[in-house]
Amino acid sequence: MKKYDTPLIDELEKGPWPSFVTEMKKSAKKNEMANDAVGHLEKCFKTKVGYWKHGGIVGVLGYGGGVIGRYSELGDEFPGVAHFHTVRINQPSGFFYTSAALREICDIWDKYGSGLTNVHGSTGDLVLLGTKTEALEAIFAEYSSRGWDLGGSGSALRTPSCCVGPGRCEWTNYDTLDLSYALTQEFQDEIHRPTFAYKFKIKMSGCACDCVASIARADMSIIGTWKGNIEVNQDEVKNYAKNGMDINAEIVGMCPTQCMSYDGKELRINNAECSRCMHCITRMTKALRPTGERGATICIGSKAPIVVGSLLSWVIVPFIKVEPPYTEVKDLVRKIWEWWDENAKPRERIGEVIEMKGMRSFLEGIGQAPIPQQIKEPRKDPFMFYTEDDMAAFKAKEAEEKKTGKYKF
Amino acid sequence: MALPQRKTDIGPPHYKQFLPPVIQKNYGKWKYHEVINPGLMVHVAESGDKIWTVRVASPRILATDTIREHCDVADKYCGGFFRYTTRNNVEFLVSDEKQVEPLRKDLAARGFKMGGIGAGITNVVHTQGWVHCHSACTDASGLVKSMMDELMEYFESKRLPNKVRLAVACCVNMCGAVHCSDIAVVAVHTKVPTIAHENFKNMCELPTVIGSCPTRAISPDPANKSVKINAEKCMYCGNCFTVCPPISIKDPERDGVAIVVGGKINSLRTSPKFSKLVIPYISNEPPRWPKVVAAIKHIVEVYAKNARKHERIGEWIERIGWERFFSMTGIDFTFQCIDDFTFMRDTMRTSSTFKW
Amino acid sequence: MEMSELQDKIFAFCEAAKGKKKLKEKDIINGINAESGLDKDEIKKALREMINVGRLMYSYGGGASSVEIPSEEYLREKGLIK
Repeated sequence: MKKYDTPLIDELEKGPWPSFVTEMKKSAKKNEMANDAVGHLEKCFKTKVGYWKHGGIVGVLGYGGGVIGRYSELGDEFPGVAHFHTVRINQPSGFFYTSAALREICDIWDKYGSGLTNVHGSTGDLVLLGTKTEALEAIFAEYSSRGWDLGGSGSALRTPSCCVGPGRCEWTNYDTLDLSYALTQEFQDEIHRPTFAYKFKIKMSGCACDCVASIARADMSIIGTWKGNIEVNQDEVKNYAKNGMDINAEIVGMCPTQCMSYDGKELRINNAECSRCMHCITRMTKALRPTGERGATICIGSKAPIVVGSLLSWVIVPFIKVEPPYTEVKDLVRKIWEWWDENAKPRERIGEVIEMKGMRSFLEGIGQAPIPQQIKEPRKDPFMFYTEDDMAAFKAKEAEEKKTGKYKF
Repeated sequence: MALPQRKTDIGPPHYKQFLPPVIQKNYGKWKYHEVINPGLMVHVAESGDKIWTVRVASPRILATDTIREHCDVADKYCGGFFRYTTRNNVEFLVSDEKQVEPLRKDLAARGFKMGGIGAGITNVVHTQGWVHCHSACTDASGLVKSMMDELMEYFESKRLPNKVRLAVACCVNMCGAVHCSDIAVVAVHTKVPTIAHENFKNMCELPTVIGSCPTRAISPDPANKSVKINAEKCMYCGNCFTVCPPISIKDPERDGVAIVVGGKINSLRTSPKFSKLVIPYISNEPPRWPKVVAAIKHIVEVYAKNARKHERIGEWIERIGWERFFSMTGIDFTFQCIDDFTFMRDTMRTSSTFKW
Repeated sequence: MEMSELQDKIFAFCEAAKGKKKLKEKDIINGINAESGLDKDEIKKALREMINVGRLMYSYGGGASSVEIPSEEYLREKGLIK
């Protein structure tokens, strides 16, 4: 095996934080592809430019995703990375594993690939970095026969992902692990066979803490919430105060709706005015907990800056029940895709299409009524559409008022 | 040797088989948790059962042998059960309190770094960079390693007013949701792309390329059977390069990074926020990007000194005002900080009340 | 229409677009539906069968997925030709 001199990236083996270079070299000791990846990276550091080509056409028979073609421009100099494809393995919900399962994944990967991984990629898949085209069918047979399937890539549903939820969190408002599993199973076809205009991501968080960043990086963000009161355990409130918490400054004063008060003895909450932001609950988790009906808020459209700027997801359904078999959520997903499919040009994310076609078109398409919870503020300009039906409804309302002698605004 | 029979459309294995018995028993019935130190927390169930979590840093790029080492540790102390986090940490899940200290000792002896829980700095969300991406204009892993070496105390022990979430994106595609981080590094191009006209016709679709441009800088170039780019309109986003390989935008001497601050993704206290540009350009300086690291450390320190408890960077800045942020940090305010793309209407000041 | 006849039609449709337009699965289904009036689900089924045996394949380029006729290289790699 060729020995590369790597003075630049060797610098990144120093210091306390775990070193990715050490990881690459660990694989390089026993793997030719990883060894060339090390030499290749040193060259990038030296010249300050990357050498990977655009993704190519690779995959497993019948699927249109899960493998991302990667080739180096420097295949002659570094033959081990001439092909260096990525394989995405669909992670289990919440990234829970057993040692036995991961050992099996590692053993197969060492047999066919570079031995390098990302645990995990940004979308959530367990990412295997670096293999050759001719190994792909074997890799797929090995993994799928043992119960592991590929994740999504290209113009498809990307691998759904969720927070730790009921597995280990007291704040979750629905079973994120189970919904993630259920949607992944329900939409296998949409994950593996790219039929959309562009990518579509679904992320599930159990509460407004949003530990999977769904509001910022999922076309569909499913964020847990509740409808009842926050139950206060006054003994625990006293304990927090006793242990040094300045409840007025840290809790009451930072409540965005100012719906709380504390007189040095009791913490009171005007629940009707609470917007369920989670600040007080996360700071006083022993003292405060939500009660009542649980479910989720559905938001739509977030994405990174390409093409015309980043978007955060917009609220479209303020409250939805999230219970097995999740029929309501699944039906909503289908309606959203149907509207998107009808209106999108190639490479348009749903948020962009909604901006182009208008939120009204989208909400009508999926059968959602307009309600104030969807907006921060109403429109500021006087340019608006009035359909014939809208006008008929306004006129009918006025006719009704004339009859009853009572205005209805 | 014959390969096993492939199966399609099976999806991932069911999560339940990977949950330790104490989680199976107390699933969805957790009562509260306590952060014992930045590397250790305990969750307590309604039943009184407890599960301890020891969080360990990972460089995200892992050799299979390191994953096997995680497995060995989990076998020894956790009945083989562990998990990873969305920010690439490893979490060892311990059901028996007696195993917590031996586990921590063993991890320390193996050189693993414990931390990242609570009001400090945890692992960095980042992209592939030069290690594995075609559109990278910096190396994300190298930047992360350089930053975290310098910020290690905030991972392991030192506390901040609130969490500081860091991210690195190796181009403006921002595969890692950099756009809503407390502090993020985003790599940028700074030059108009060049076009290998002779390859355009065979490799690119004209309408797709024209449509890929957010500033409408691209128009047909019939003489070359290709396109031309209006240099006055181009903002170097590189989207045309993504859809059309003969377009080239990489430039080793001009590619660099920008720093954005003040974003967040949770809804605690205030709504989720985008990160905003404060430093428009720093040259790529591999292997350690010293100026980028110094800038991030400086911003963290000014925040640590001035923010109120529980304020995230963006909330602190909104309270004191951006003009104050620039004066406090001494960061030069430049034209790039004024939005001239899609958000100018929302971001210019429309009152005469501000601070000197 | 017989399945094989429909598949030949789909193949011809893809062949006609080769080198001109990247077809998405939807473009093919809508195109054949407009030509023949056949049920879209039926077209999709026929198309998927072709992809499963490598007569057509999913491709990726320019940041988006499409469907195209496989190269000999692809077929050789999949062991479908020698």
